[in-house]
Amino acid sequence: MKRVTWSLWSSLMGLLLLTVTQSSGLPVTNASTPQPIALEPAMLHALQARYKSLSKQLTQLMPAQPYIVVDTARNHLYIKRRDQVMLDALASTGSGTILDKPGEAKGQWIFDTPRGEFVVQSKLINPVWVKPDWAFIEEGQAIPKSQADRIEPGVLGEYALGFGKGYFIHGTLYTRLLGKNVTHGCIRLNDEDLKSVYQLAKVGTPIMIF
Amino acid sequence: MLKNPASCVLLLSLLLTSIPLTWAIEPESHSDVDINNPIALQEATRVLAEEVKLAARPQTYVVIDLVDRAVLIKGRGVELHRFPIERWSAAQLSEASGTFRLKNRPPVIRRKVDPAAGAEQPPISLDDMPTEFTLLFSPSLTVAVHPSASDDLWRWLKFKVRQWWVWLKDWSLILTTGHAPPPHASIHLTVTSDHAQSLAWTVTEGMPFLLRRTSLPPS
Repeated sequence: MKRVTWSLWSSLMGLLLLTVTQSSGLPVTNASTPQPIALEPAMLHALQARYKSLSKQLTQLMPAQPYIVVDTARNHLYIKRRDQVMLDALASTGSGTILDKPGEAKGQWIFDTPRGEFVVQSKLINPVWVKPDWAFIEEGQAIPKSQADRIEPGVLGEYALGFGKGYFIHGTLYTRLLGKNVTHGCIRLNDEDLKSVYQLAKVGTPIMIF
Repeated sequence: MLKNPASCVLLLSLLLTSIPLTWAIEPESHSDVDINNPIALQEATRVLAEEVKLAARPQTYVVIDLVDRAVLIKGRGVELHRFPIERWSAAQLSEASGTFRLKNRPPVIRRKVDPAAGAEQPPISLDDMPTEFTLLFSPSLTVAVHPSASDDLWRWLKFKVRQWWVWLKDWSLILTTGHAPPPHASIHLTVTSDHAQSLAWTVTEGMPFLLRRTSLPPS
């Protein structure tokens, strides 16, 4: 028994020793990074000029007007202008859950808030929710044949800002869930923050979601 | 023509205020770049040139900055989120220039909504994201992310054993065949569990990554 324990112990120590020593070995830390170079002063000046020019180009690509940033991990929506935060709002974003599409073997809805860069495409006052198929299926109801049966007023708040493919920034009746990932992909805000976003954003305002 | 000193002052003020703001704020994308250091400047310029191309399109991208020891999530040149790298090590970094596209995002177990069950399914959150994962890119680059020993000793040990196994396999190949495995750029990033989960949450399939290398040894 003692021998087994000893051999196990020495194996573990050997493993740890190798783990430590290999970090200075060839394959892992062969961090062949940019090699030292000698540049003529004229070439260095040219490189400095190119660096400054590229820095300027990058600055020019940054939004000059207010833009919206959505942090889906921490459920916050910000309106920023350059580095200044004009609004920091608690939000609710996509739940990441999935729902099978009935009658389709592999079809399913994934309730994620899309990541990437978008723009405000529409600004609506007193929007009504036109319930999509998944809203009925999720509740175990039949999909209505009439479009009128899909309309549900008063659930999206006073304003909605569309950013494509049916995704909106809108209000909510469930303000206690703000700060959590509970939506089907839309971004929910409380009434006050929604009003501020509606007032500050224009059609064309960039929305960066990560 | 302008004999009145007050008019001169007014004209001068008007001229000064009409100068665009961008003249006053000289942009420096990498504030830590020593522009008199050719190596650092060349690398910063290379990354900046790549970033200008990425920022010109409506997308978010990630910069792994080994100089600043930080991972940056950016869009249009704007820094959206940043977290520190505690430690890093790398192999064949000279191969790692250009823009890398993520092949797949780290796996996450999504909960399925069951209408028949009636009960609401709990949503996924940051806590559901992995703290240890490997990102594979095209062109070839591997980024292994894992928590520090103080953060998660068990996962750190598992990672070290795996790292040791790869090292052993590489050396066995060299000893038995006499040939080294083909050069392959790889980076190991040690971050806190929270930051690893945050990165796993943010990245999407096809997302562009940039790597700012350093001539300093890994830390």
